[in-house]
Amino acid sequence: MEQPRPGTSMYHRRLRLIALLMGGVLLLLALQLGRLTMVEGAQRLQRAEQTLHRRTLLPTWRGSILDRQGRKIAVDRPGYAVAVEFDVITGAWEMRQAGRQARRELGATAWSALSPAARLAAARDRLPQWRAKSERLYAELRRLGGIDEAELNRRLDAIRSEVQETAAAVWAAQRAAESAKYGEESDFEFRPGRIREQTEAHVVLPSVSDAVAFEFSALADDLPGMLKVQNARRRVYPWSEAEVRLDRSNLPRPLRSNRPMRIRVRGVADHICGSMRPVVREDVERRPYRVPATGRIDLGGYRPVGDIAGERGLEKVFEDHLRGTRGEVSRRLDLDRVIRIEPTPGRDLQITLDLALQARIQAIMSHEFGLTIVQEFHHNSGLPLGWKLNGAAVVMEVETGEILAMVSMPTRADGEEMDARRQAIEQPWVNRPVEAIYPPGSIIKPLVLVAAVTEGVHDLTETIECIGHYFPHVKNVARCWIYRERWGYTTHGPLVAEDALGQSCNIFFYTLADRLGMNRLAAWYGRFGMGSPLHVGLEYEYLGRDADGNERTIRTGEAGGHIPDAAEMSESALAGRLDFDTIILGIGQGPIAWTPLHAANAYATIARGGTIRDAKLVSDDSIAPRPRRCNDLHLHGAAVDAALEGLRRAVSEGGTGHHITYSPGDREAIFNAEGVNVWGKTGTAQAPKLILEDTNANGRLDAGDDGIDGLDHAWFVGLVGPADTRRPMFALSVIVEYGGSGGRVAGPVANQIIHALQREGYLPAQAFFDPGAEGDR
Amino acid sequence: MSQVAITERAAPYTAVDLHINVRPLHQCRIAWLNPGWLCVGAALALNALGIITIATTEPGYATRQIAHLCLAMIAAAVVAAPHYHWLRRFSMPLLIVVVALLVFVLIPFVPEFIVRPRNGARRWISLYFMDFQPSELAKIAYIIALAAYLRYRKNYRRFLGLLLPLALTFIPMGLVLIEPDLGSAMLFLPTLFAMLIAAGAKLKHLVLIVLLGLAAAPAMYPLLQPHQKARIHALYYQLKGDQRHVQDIGYQGDKAMTLVGAGQVSGVGRRKAADLVTYNHLPEEHNDMVFAVIACRWGAAGALLTWGLYILLFLGGMLTAGQCRDPFGRLVAVGIVAILFAQMTINTGMTVGLMPITGMTLPFVSYGGSSLISVWIMVGLLLSVALRRPQYLVRESFEFDHEEEGAM
Repeated sequence: MEQPRPGTSMYHRRLRLIALLMGGVLLLLALQLGRLTMVEGAQRLQRAEQTLHRRTLLPTWRGSILDRQGRKIAVDRPGYAVAVEFDVITGAWEMRQAGRQARRELGATAWSALSPAARLAAARDRLPQWRAKSERLYAELRRLGGIDEAELNRRLDAIRSEVQETAAAVWAAQRAAESAKYGEESDFEFRPGRIREQTEAHVVLPSVSDAVAFEFSALADDLPGMLKVQNARRRVYPWSEAEVRLDRSNLPRPLRSNRPMRIRVRGVADHICGSMRPVVREDVERRPYRVPATGRIDLGGYRPVGDIAGERGLEKVFEDHLRGTRGEVSRRLDLDRVIRIEPTPGRDLQITLDLALQARIQAIMSHEFGLTIVQEFHHNSGLPLGWKLNGAAVVMEVETGEILAMVSMPTRADGEEMDARRQAIEQPWVNRPVEAIYPPGSIIKPLVLVAAVTEGVHDLTETIECIGHYFPHVKNVARCWIYRERWGYTTHGPLVAEDALGQSCNIFFYTLADRLGMNRLAAWYGRFGMGSPLHVGLEYEYLGRDADGNERTIRTGEAGGHIPDAAEMSESALAGRLDFDTIILGIGQGPIAWTPLHAANAYATIARGGTIRDAKLVSDDSIAPRPRRCNDLHLHGAAVDAALEGLRRAVSEGGTGHHITYSPGDREAIFNAEGVNVWGKTGTAQAPKLILEDTNANGRLDAGDDGIDGLDHAWFVGLVGPADTRRPMFALSVIVEYGGSGGRVAGPVANQIIHALQREGYLPAQAFFDPGAEGDR
Repeated sequence: MSQVAITERAAPYTAVDLHINVRPLHQCRIAWLNPGWLCVGAALALNALGIITIATTEPGYATRQIAHLCLAMIAAAVVAAPHYHWLRRFSMPLLIVVVALLVFVLIPFVPEFIVRPRNGARRWISLYFMDFQPSELAKIAYIIALAAYLRYRKNYRRFLGLLLPLALTFIPMGLVLIEPDLGSAMLFLPTLFAMLIAAGAKLKHLVLIVLLGLAAAPAMYPLLQPHQKARIHALYYQLKGDQRHVQDIGYQGDKAMTLVGAGQVSGVGRRKAADLVTYNHLPEEHNDMVFAVIACRWGAAGALLTWGLYILLFLGGMLTAGQCRDPFGRLVAVGIVAILFAQMTINTGMTVGLMPITGMTLPFVSYGGSSLISVWIMVGLLLSVALRRPQYLVRESFEFDHEEEGAM
């Protein structure tokens, strides 16, 4: 047979084929290697290196919120909490430990040979001694924590169910995300992994003393892997509850007593201070701990679990100021390098509030004290005796605009004890002094006077005659309050400005409003602050849903009120109502509204002779989110004097805010503090109907529901100063919702606030009288 | 010399004389200069690389691996010393013994001091001083038996003639698969195909079988163990670039790919590689995943070097096969090259994320006594084939050009 050339025979060709196939496979491997190392190499190296970083976070602490006297309204307290590992709580820990022990005792080889059922049985045999350990832990939790078995079980159950619910939610989200990303695939089902909460320790005893914490630390050494003693900084509000002793000797006669009253107030300044809550998506998106785009760690950022953030009020607005930045010990395991970043504590926030005064005013406005429940002397037209009224009060320093007290009733703490229906009616979450808007009513009149004189449309020497109604031939609209059937259609007659203000004559101010015109009047109201928030530092934004259910940023915390805009004016002119719409603005009705803070602020502006120094809550102007207005209205000096004189007359003999009439001939002065001068104006403003039931059953209380009509909000806004200087020192504003007459309902509250200012040393008291020392007479 | 002896004999030959006198013609010349040494050298280099790599994280294991290497080389020498034809004589008994052992490990009630299950797998027979894995022996016995069966036949050039070799493959392969040892089972078919190609089976038949096998694969899939299915799933998602299983069934594969990539082109060096491997919790880093450590420490350069050494090894094996004129020797050499190649491909393939994760060592490089002995026995066999050259009478084998096959 002819010998083929070496290497060309079929066999050798076949060998080359095999080599070729092998080469092809190797080429494929090499290509994949190139992809991994060259294309994705840097990225994969970074991923691998992530495991070399060990981070330990160092806690920071949040700044305190202090009142003007340095009292701590909100403060971070160090403390300890005892947390139990989740696996111990579920009992999985016992079984795992028993299994490990069995494996150890039997030896790895024997163990590995066992069937799963046999392994389980071997573990079961050793379970009791591990169960004994958890029994011991529970016994210590009960003993040292001072809780009984039922309470402990309740807490453990709560943790179990909460974690379970969280896990279910997380898994549902993961499953949804997966099917959204990859499409529904039936061949391989979703495999839920343990969520973080299932591998963590959970707090069972939230705050324990140092001694108890020490005992638990010792126990933790004894029972490794079962419990943790954690540092737990708590946000506490030391002043949120206070007991106030109130003198009752200067109350209106039906409530008067020589025995002081002790009143426990809850939630002092809680609307202003705000509160904390666990972080929500919005916080994490605003400042994430791990920046999603770059993967970089921001120590000041929020982690999705375990962090807290301000929910409302100052805690929310000044979140970044108060929060501080946590520190970090970062260790590169491969380099033996430790980088320590110290935590930066949050900064303190001082506000102008005086907490003692705040608590005292809150006590004055409590239902217990009696001024804010419907009394016989209130002559409330629509509400029964004893009906509980809500309201608000503001005290401001005239000179600086600093807010000394700003009370909203009910407080949020009060609201926590209400059921959902009462909450819907009372709206305890509304910070009434800055968030709730009311029609001003007669308290607007001094503003109209100074505006008219400054604009030159009224001469202070001029008298305007009150004939009971404004339009000469129409007697049933635009009447003076005094022009009523039951008083025999009396009138004020000709009045100068001071008396018009003192007697709150409507006709006088209709006339001034008419002379000014709607445009100028609205502009003047705007200059006094109406229509836009005063920016005291309580305004914040959050992501919420509007009426149509669309998600959007909602700005809240401070209301601006309302003044008529150009559209409303032209609409009014087109409808032929311009005259009427203009004149009623002059007595504080029509399309205008403001907050109690606006009212006090406007009065303080008049008292300063027109210098605008808007209300101020945060002591340090430089950290306020928005600058407050500081300006001058250039008011006519004589007009300011006339307005103040009018306000003085209003609370003097013959004025609307002078006395309470119990029965014909039996009356008593509203203001009885000695050593002070009071200027003030009552207001009785038509209130929207009071809705108590969802009668149209649309799931909420709204204008479509039936309610009690014809009620009035009771206003008293005034100024007070020491008798010797004759200068107003403080502006105060009180509103009692649906209270009725401003003089009879809001007046006594304002009187008590003046006593409170004396009591707290802001105003001199002629003869300081300590009711506690006197005892019962 | 012996040629002279024949011609000088004047008297007529008896059959006995002829037989006696022809024997030297069959006897082999020892060819000291042969490509087998290339295999030995490459294997040694791979071993050295392996030991250095193992020392990255486990210096103690590296020392023990040196001991294993000595033992393995002795085993290789023992195998290489006698003529490999002796093995051919024992090929059938050896296969029967191996099959018996493979059955033996599967018998349920065998005492556990003899067959020790690990993680539910029954693969090992305890020999007191070491554990012996019959599947390692089965690979060698299978190559020898198949080579012995195919060497003088032609019937495998008919389609039906392929059935018997296939059956011969499925017996050990099936038993190994039941153990379960998917990785080892995956070695048999590539080896069979390589040997059939070398032996001159018709390529269209082989292609047809591959196509039939691919068509039948979905039907076989349900027979796999759950964890094997999971790994195939994991590979499927991994190849799609889908991250969803990186924490569970795809964990090992993902970690390996991460570390391979982390080495980039030139590697991160010893110390950092050790840290990365340790803190990334790469499982089996000195064993099945050793290639990831190589790639991490020396980068793509190290991985290519490793493959380069394998190429040298396979080149040596193929040259041995090419130079060998004895059909049995040819097939043994091709079979060994094929099985080592398959093992290397499966191992490095799973490390770079192209193959499902199976418990498969990287020949010569991975830590482990019995697997090292097994692959060195293969090198010994290659050397044995390479050393021996039949002198004169050789029947041309596996040449079917005259049967109008034309192209390969």
